[in-house]
Amino acid sequence: MNARYAVAAAAAVVAAAALVAYSAAPEAPAGEARTHGSVSTAMGSPVLGDPDAPVTIVEFGDYQCHQCYNWFHNSKPQITERFIDSGEANLVFVDMAFLGRDSPKAAQATYCAGDQGEYWRYHDMLYKMQEPAIDGGWASAERLKAFAFALNLDQQEFDSCLDSGKHSKRVQSNVSEARKAGVTGTPTFVIVGPGGEQKISGAQPYPVFERTIESVA
Amino acid sequence: MVTRQVLSRPAYAAMAAGVFAAMLVPMLSLSGFVFFEPYVVGHVPPGSEASLAMIVALSGLSAVVIPVNVYGIRARMGRPGGFFGSALGAAVGSCGCGPATLALVSAFGPAGAAASAFLANYEMPLRAAALGVLLASWWASSRSIRAACRVGQK
Repeated sequence: MNARYAVAAAAAVVAAAALVAYSAAPEAPAGEARTHGSVSTAMGSPVLGDPDAPVTIVEFGDYQCHQCYNWFHNSKPQITERFIDSGEANLVFVDMAFLGRDSPKAAQATYCAGDQGEYWRYHDMLYKMQEPAIDGGWASAERLKAFAFALNLDQQEFDSCLDSGKHSKRVQSNVSEARKAGVTGTPTFVIVGPGGEQKISGAQPYPVFERTIESVA
Repeated sequence: MVTRQVLSRPAYAAMAAGVFAAMLVPMLSLSGFVFFEPYVVGHVPPGSEASLAMIVALSGLSAVVIPVNVYGIRARMGRPGGFFGSALGAAVGSCGCGPATLALVSAFGPAGAAASAFLANYEMPLRAAALGVLLASWWASSRSIRAACRVGQK
């Protein structure tokens, strides 16, 4: 009798442990174990551009980082026009949310928008609406919800996603991946292509990216 | 007048050039105006002109004030305020999205994040304060050196 109880208890413990492990694991995008060069981007953004493009630009960024804002407005448009729209390169964003308490929440919000298929529109909105003050309130939970409203997302679904912290482990996992990749500041880029892998630190101008992409293509 | 006399000595002129380079290059690099890898390139993003002007002004003023301070201290007439102004200017420049912030956050957690956010959010006023400290130090050192020289002449 006692042995039967012991087996049942052990089975219950194993089942509970499995349940806890499953619920604690960050939710990866369906069926992906994506890597680009030495970087695992499985928990990062959807791919912007042609997923089969020969070159991938992995951007490590923080939504409150002013240098990321500079790169988004000054270099990215030309890179998009010249390399991403033409199918020569694609881009993946990996969160390095470290600048303030609102940074991880902003990163989580992009994945909540991503659940509704609007990751990149939301990402772009954050960099368009960024204000200079870190933790100054522009990326508070209320403002993040207001951005979702402005993009006509399903508000109830977005709010419950953000409030529940559904993607918090995904963001933490991205921060760990960034640290593993040796990222010490944002933005940092890893350009991966058939010719190798190159790192670019900082909001460098378009010609640097042009030369680097061509050197690894 | 005092400044011209101090900087006319080769050792102090070399010190001024060294201070200027030692302040300017790291601050330009940390603020994202100059990059050394993968290529050496300079870049002034639109809207960052005032920040660049402040960095050049801080470096230039430090290059003048520190040799005058050193001259004054060696002659027992100066005040070390120039060092404080230069250090404040450099500290402000080092925060932002870079390695210094990550180091602060890693070492001190939320307190480090708050400190780096403060330095980043008040970058321009703090740089203006650093310029003010440098100007005050320059004026005070020059005045005390000039006064001591007059007394010495009698």
